[in-house]
Amino acid sequence: MSQSPPEGPGADPGGRSAVSLGDPWTIVAYLLSGMLLWGGAGWLLDRWLGTSFLVLVGLLVGTALAIYLIYVRLGSS
Amino acid sequence: MIRLPLAAEEGGGFRAPGPEDFWQPLIGDGAFAVTRPAVVFVLSVVLISAVLLIATRRMSLVPSKGQFALEGVYGLVRNGIARDIIGSHDFLRFLPLLFSMFVLILVNNLFGVTPVIQYPTMSRIAFPIALTLVVFAVYHSIGFRKKGGIGYFKSMVPPGLPVLIVPFIFLLELVTYFVTRPLTLALRLFANMFAGHLLLLVFVLGAEYLLLHGEGLLKIAGVGSFLLALVFTAFEILVEFLQAYIFTLLAALYIAGSLADEH
Repeated sequence: MSQSPPEGPGADPGGRSAVSLGDPWTIVAYLLSGMLLWGGAGWLLDRWLGTSFLVLVGLLVGTALAIYLIYVRLGSS
Repeated sequence: MIRLPLAAEEGGGFRAPGPEDFWQPLIGDGAFAVTRPAVVFVLSVVLISAVLLIATRRMSLVPSKGQFALEGVYGLVRNGIARDIIGSHDFLRFLPLLFSMFVLILVNNLFGVTPVIQYPTMSRIAFPIALTLVVFAVYHSIGFRKKGGIGYFKSMVPPGLPVLIVPFIFLLELVTYFVTRPLTLALRLFANMFAGHLLLLVFVLGAEYLLLHGEGLLKIAGVGSFLLALVFTAFEILVEFLQAYIFTLLAALYIAGSLADEH
């Protein structure tokens, strides 16, 4: 999001700072999505299979994916 | 909203303010009641329209104090949010939307500490949801129109990822775009206004109770509570401004994300 190429939107001189103001909210949104999606999937699998550990696995996998995505999106600039 | 039983009322003790204090129907009751926030909201629209119409009719090259202040707010949204985030090529198209949103939210938030009115409209969740639906519709329609149906979904995944991981990331992005973003956008504004106003209510009502019904040293505590209410009112003004800014900033960020060709 904030990694726009120089010719794209948000490329005005001095525009970087304003764009990266939104970064904390982007990160929170990704983390929430990851936990909700894969934690939710794990929870449903738990209910279906009668187990109880898949919700934890889902939460961890979702968080890991979210952190990976944040790294790809925001980390390498 | 959950209506709690007013158990302590008969006992004569202190009744802490709660969510039920935000439900204030003026005419009628139930789902179609005309409530205080609805009236406040209409008032804000009338006020904003009147101020902006009058101010823009008498524009001069050497600005008066009022014009200077208005141009400051306009400049903040135009240059500080819209141009910086969306980029100089496209931002003018979205400026009316962003400016209206910023001013509308700001005035409605500031109504929370305006004497007599004293109600932050956004502490009723329907108002933030309505605003969020507008932002939601705008950024998705831009994305679909600019990149086409498949292209829009493709653009959600950053390029150069291992093939194995793409479906997982895609689902994650899908949930972020369609669920988490609107959810957090609406909830952030609502919760900040709701909690802030509730905090003020606690301090002011607590001060009133301690001063009128407390004995001895408790009256001094009442003075302290009242002073803290003043401090938190100043703090609340800051939060109200900040929330209007953040809402507009994120709306611009989502629009910019839909417009961007590649990440």
